[in-house]
Amino acid sequence: MKKFLTVVKREYIQRVRAKMFIVSTILLPVVMSLFLLVPAIILSIETPPMRVAVVDQSGRMYSQIRQALSNDQQETAAQDVNSGAPRTTTTPRRSFARFNVEEVSATDQPLDQIRANLDQRMRARELDGYVILPPDFLSEGKAEFVNRNPGDVFSLQALQSAINRAAREQRLIDAKVDTKTRQELFKPIELQSVKTGGAGSQQANSNAGFAVVFGVGFVMYLAILMYGQIVLGAIIEEKETRIAEILFSSVKPFTLMMGKLVGVSLLALTQLAIWGTAFGLFALYGVGLLASEGVRASIPNIPFLHFIYFGLFFLLGYFIYATIYALVGSMVTTAQEGGQLAMPIILILVVSFYLFWPVSRSPDSPFSFWVSMIPFSAPVAMLVRIVTQTPPFWQIALSLLIGFSTVFVIMWVASRIYRVGMLMYGKRASIPEAIRWVRQA
Amino acid sequence: MATNETTVKLDGVSKSFGEFTAVSELSLDVRAGRVFGLLGPNGAGKTTTIRMIVNITAPDSGAILLFGRHIDSSLQDRIGYLPEERGLYKKMRVADQLRFFAEIKNMRGKQVESKIDEWLARVKLPEWKNKRSMELSKGMQQKIQFITAVIHDPDLLILDEPFSGLDPVNVELMKEIVLDLKRAGKTIIFSTHQMEVAEKICDDICLLNRSRKVFEGSLREIKSSFGRNSVAVRCEGGNGVLDDPTLVSKLVRHADEAQVLLAAGADAQTLLKRLIDSGAAIGKFEMVEPSLNDIFITKVTEPA
Repeated sequence: MKKFLTVVKREYIQRVRAKMFIVSTILLPVVMSLFLLVPAIILSIETPPMRVAVVDQSGRMYSQIRQALSNDQQETAAQDVNSGAPRTTTTPRRSFARFNVEEVSATDQPLDQIRANLDQRMRARELDGYVILPPDFLSEGKAEFVNRNPGDVFSLQALQSAINRAAREQRLIDAKVDTKTRQELFKPIELQSVKTGGAGSQQANSNAGFAVVFGVGFVMYLAILMYGQIVLGAIIEEKETRIAEILFSSVKPFTLMMGKLVGVSLLALTQLAIWGTAFGLFALYGVGLLASEGVRASIPNIPFLHFIYFGLFFLLGYFIYATIYALVGSMVTTAQEGGQLAMPIILILVVSFYLFWPVSRSPDSPFSFWVSMIPFSAPVAMLVRIVTQTPPFWQIALSLLIGFSTVFVIMWVASRIYRVGMLMYGKRASIPEAIRWVRQA
Repeated sequence: MATNETTVKLDGVSKSFGEFTAVSELSLDVRAGRVFGLLGPNGAGKTTTIRMIVNITAPDSGAILLFGRHIDSSLQDRIGYLPEERGLYKKMRVADQLRFFAEIKNMRGKQVESKIDEWLARVKLPEWKNKRSMELSKGMQQKIQFITAVIHDPDLLILDEPFSGLDPVNVELMKEIVLDLKRAGKTIIFSTHQMEVAEKICDDICLLNRSRKVFEGSLREIKSSFGRNSVAVRCEGGNGVLDDPTLVSKLVRHADEAQVLLAAGADAQTLLKRLIDSGAAIGKFEMVEPSLNDIFITKVTEPA
């Protein structure tokens, strides 16, 4: 045990002191936030609003369209559009496309003349496009949009949806439906997901649960991607530096490998804890900011026991995959070889992640039961079951037992392969050889 | 120390890897407080034998006793092992590295620090204490590796080709350290195929060839059992005599003299007489002890 701790200590201290660790701890959040910030910055670049003229031959649509477009733009002031002098409006938040609409009378002149005038204005860059609503627009539902840039699908879609809503409103008005009824008709519904037998306080529980499970799964995935290779490298380290034989005269291969695995894992947890704390502080700051603006953000209502399960299954998932990396490390002689052999691991990981969906649809099915017992898929599958229809405790305990026993068995097998491989002077093991080595060692 | 005590005893030990037999039916005694040379050509089974002694692999059959007990992992802490395949953690500082190797042998506390300083001074590398091992030259790394094997003050020290890669000055320094350890009562198993080195520091030797023991005993006994049948000759002419197989079983010509191994039944007097009769001008004719190298080559090339 003392020797095990000595190995863990060396592994952890040497790595936590390394420049790589410090740099990556700082750099990753910076890169991540850049990934979030850069698109937001690009999207917030202001483009001038699109100047659109509406030729309303039906004579009843213009005000509805203007209202529909300004609803899109929330408080976008469009009061001056009639003057034909577009002015900058307040920044719309939700829509990519902004419009300045103006009405062009359809009765003063013949249509061809109006078209000619508008084309003229477009050439003079006073206008970006115009919509012609024929007299039978409300019954036929067909309109024409002449514009300079037919590839601008965002504007086209926004405009189409606004005209669509305007037409619906006008048709209802024509059908003598009063304002109140119209509002009632379009009132959105709310579907609350409530657990059977659960009290009122449990409502929306599994939604928050899903989000957290997804988060746990994602962090697990990230941790395995980042630290799997480090585990592999750590296992190979003694082979590459030819220290293995000196160490094996002092410690058992199993102790050495377990010590290295735990040392690297503590490093992973340290890094995740630093990031978690930073993220937590950031989130608290954000919640505080929202609260000061009057938005109420609530902490998801999840039973405390579930957090313990989240922790345990996260560790299980991490260790199951980390030990496979260790197993690969025991068979190869260089990190490059290991990288190639490790590819299928990622595949298994991704597949187990997709089980999220079938399991969440029928958490009580035999399929869900079995995948939550198989160690490779258990972490995600069992967590999904816990937040949906919590299975009996014995199933959770059994899943954990099977999982952690598997970790030990894999490490035991890996240490035997490692030792024989070392005795063979760094020969790389083929799979059948590895199996023979496990038996004979 | 008591010279009749046995530190390591092997009794009918065999080990094979699949088809390949690495060690067969090997029995030997390593006496306490002596330097035991485990000699043999490459692939003779030296390293496998050592690995069984330090409990890295288990023998297929036979028994190994260490300090009078069957080997287990608690005895490992009393052994210091410097394998032929050895290295250091590249990025670790020398002192951290030595501390790790001491702790992995269950050595704790303040004595670790004083041992680190003591040994670094002894191999003349104290100023490298806080350097990373990748900054050290190959010879310096060799010396640090040697310290990793002895820092926990083991009763049994096993050195596999410890001087390879060292310059003559450092070989001399390390040889002195090994002999000091012997004087301090440690038992040392010394594995090498460099006979000149073995000849200078071993008390007892065991020669292995093709997984079997060829002979075992004290260096003195072995040399005298070979008898004085070796002659150093410097002469001009007389070539026909030296090539006569009834007189000479083996002839090795050096720069200006020849090493002659007498054939069975021939004696030095006859050889000298024949040389004089043939009219050769003799500058030197001296009976010499066979070198370990000669014994080694004779035994290894002997048909089984």
